Amino acid sequence: MPISQISFVRRTLIAIFVGLAALLVIVAVNLWLAGQTRIYADSVTAARHQRSALVDLRSLLDDAETGQRGYLLTGEAKYLVPYEDARQAIPSQLDRVRSLMAGDPQQSPALAALSNAVPSKLAELKQTIDLYNAGKHDEALAVVDSDRGKEFMDQIRQHLGALVKSADDRLDKAVQDQTASINALRWVTLGGAFVIILVVGGCVWAVILYTRQLVAAQREVQALNAGLEQRVRERTADLGRANEEIQRFAYIVTHDLRAPLVNIMGFTSELDGCLTAIQKYVNEARQTDDDQIVKDARAAALEDLPEAIGFIRGSTRKMDGLINAILKLSREGRRVLKPEPVRLDALLKTAAANVQHQVTEAGGAVEIDAKVPALVSDRLALEQIFGNLLDNAVKYRSPARPLKIEIRAREDRGRRILVEVQDNGRGIARQDHERVFDLFRRSGAQDQPGEGIGLAHVRTMVRNLGGDITLQSDIDGGTTMKLDLPHDLRAVLATQTGGA
Amino acid sequence: MQDSARPVVIVMIEDDEGHARLIEKNIRRAGVNNQIVPFANGTEALRYLLGPDGSGSESAGRQLLILLDLNLPDMTGIDILEKLKSNTHTKRAPVVVLTTTDDSREIQRCYDLGANVYITKPVDYEGFANAIRQLGLFFSVMQVPESD
Repeated sequence: MPISQISFVRRTLIAIFVGLAALLVIVAVNLWLAGQTRIYADSVTAARHQRSALVDLRSLLDDAETGQRGYLLTGEAKYLVPYEDARQAIPSQLDRVRSLMAGDPQQSPALAALSNAVPSKLAELKQTIDLYNAGKHDEALAVVDSDRGKEFMDQIRQHLGALVKSADDRLDKAVQDQTASINALRWVTLGGAFVIILVVGGCVWAVILYTRQLVAAQREVQALNAGLEQRVRERTADLGRANEEIQRFAYIVTHDLRAPLVNIMGFTSELDGCLTAIQKYVNEARQTDDDQIVKDARAAALEDLPEAIGFIRGSTRKMDGLINAILKLSREGRRVLKPEPVRLDALLKTAAANVQHQVTEAGGAVEIDAKVPALVSDRLALEQIFGNLLDNAVKYRSPARPLKIEIRAREDRGRRILVEVQDNGRGIARQDHERVFDLFRRSGAQDQPGEGIGLAHVRTMVRNLGGDITLQSDIDGGTTMKLDLPHDLRAVLATQTGGA
Repeated sequence: MQDSARPVVIVMIEDDEGHARLIEKNIRRAGVNNQIVPFANGTEALRYLLGPDGSGSESAGRQLLILLDLNLPDMTGIDILEKLKSNTHTKRAPVVVLTTTDDSREIQRCYDLGANVYITKPVDYEGFANAIRQLGLFFSVMQVPESD
């Protein structure tokens, strides 16, 4: 089922945008979840630190109390070492706990109570030690017996226990949150992956579908192309046949026209021969000068008949010339072209040398600028073409100025050779620009001999070579003949025979 | 050998009556008085030359000279030339091709097929008349070989 281009493009674009959006959502959610995880991890770490700080504080207090008890019981100084160590470490440990718990206002009452209880306990411990050291052993024991220290210690234990529990709670919660976040991350990733797979699958499907259609369309285009080439070949062959037919027609017609012309000319000569006999007789019949019949006969034999025969002769001669011209053209059209490498520069120089005599006589000069690569063409046709053009340039020069002929050639797009033959002659009127290429048509003053076949012949030959010729000219402004020749005649012939 | 004394018969195959008449006139003017047998088409001419069965035995022993136009209504002169030159009885008869064509390829083809002389009928009558008269002189001096 063919899909229209626009809807296909629209659908594909939408799919790509959906895929892109899914990807962006996944990335955003991932980033956010990663942030969350970090926060949870931070709070886990904080809770752990709090917990360990609290436990350390409790252990220090235990150490202090144990040391005190040991000293009071034995009086040995070594038991004071743990006490002294703990006593020194406890205030800073308490500060550490306070600072760790600072961000947790919920715990501040318990913390405050702890802060009060710990110095009190320490003071109680110090008091007993001081009393003991002062030798008042009983008083020291009395202080211990008063249970004040135990109360402080119980308070401290209670507060510390509550704080540790709260830290444990927060630890548990943070771990739960982290697990939830990881789960969410997994689901979002799975969902996103599903969407992306869906979109990519859709795109792949669309691309396959589209590619198939493209291939089908390409095949169709190829088929059409082949058909087109076939049609072009057929048309070319038709044209070739039509052209051949015209050539044959011209050949046969001119040929068959010649046969009656031979008769007309032949019997005119016979008439001429007879006339000589009659003239001789009429000239001898002088004595009957005044006889009207003899007068008429003489007028006919000596004036009318020779005149008529003269016109018949002139006309047949002219007709023969025309027929020969047509024959020449048709023969040129039927001539098999021989493509060979031709150096245009050398060919033009030879052509110019052939008219050099007339050019010099007219006080003129020929300039050639033809630095083009050698072309493959029919040498004879090219020689005739440029010979004709140069002849014309010399023939129709302007008497007002010295003749100057310029021939320029250049390469056009690597496939065509453009040649211009420019003269400063009398020029051709605008309305005659096309006409001069017609057979038997001439332009301007008819003061030069010719039948009007030169340019017709040139155009036929140029077209046979696969080129064309046009002219640019103004009356008294010189004429430029512009030739457009193919670089390689073989390519032209190949398309013609390929079509035939 | 008794045929060697027979005079040469000129066979003229020319569809244009005017041309035929002009050729005949000029041949006579050149002083050639041999019998001229005219044909206006190829079929009749071939029947005369090769016989109704086309074997050519009719021409055995005849002394012939053939004037042949290339443009005939029913066939081309080239066909006739080919038939004459491939037949044992007529292949030695001299053939003079007379035509309006001056196409070098056609001339070459006629010579390749065995034509002895090729004359273009020029519109310039003097040239034509001269050519025919010279042909007449050529007839008068030549020995037409016996066709057996």
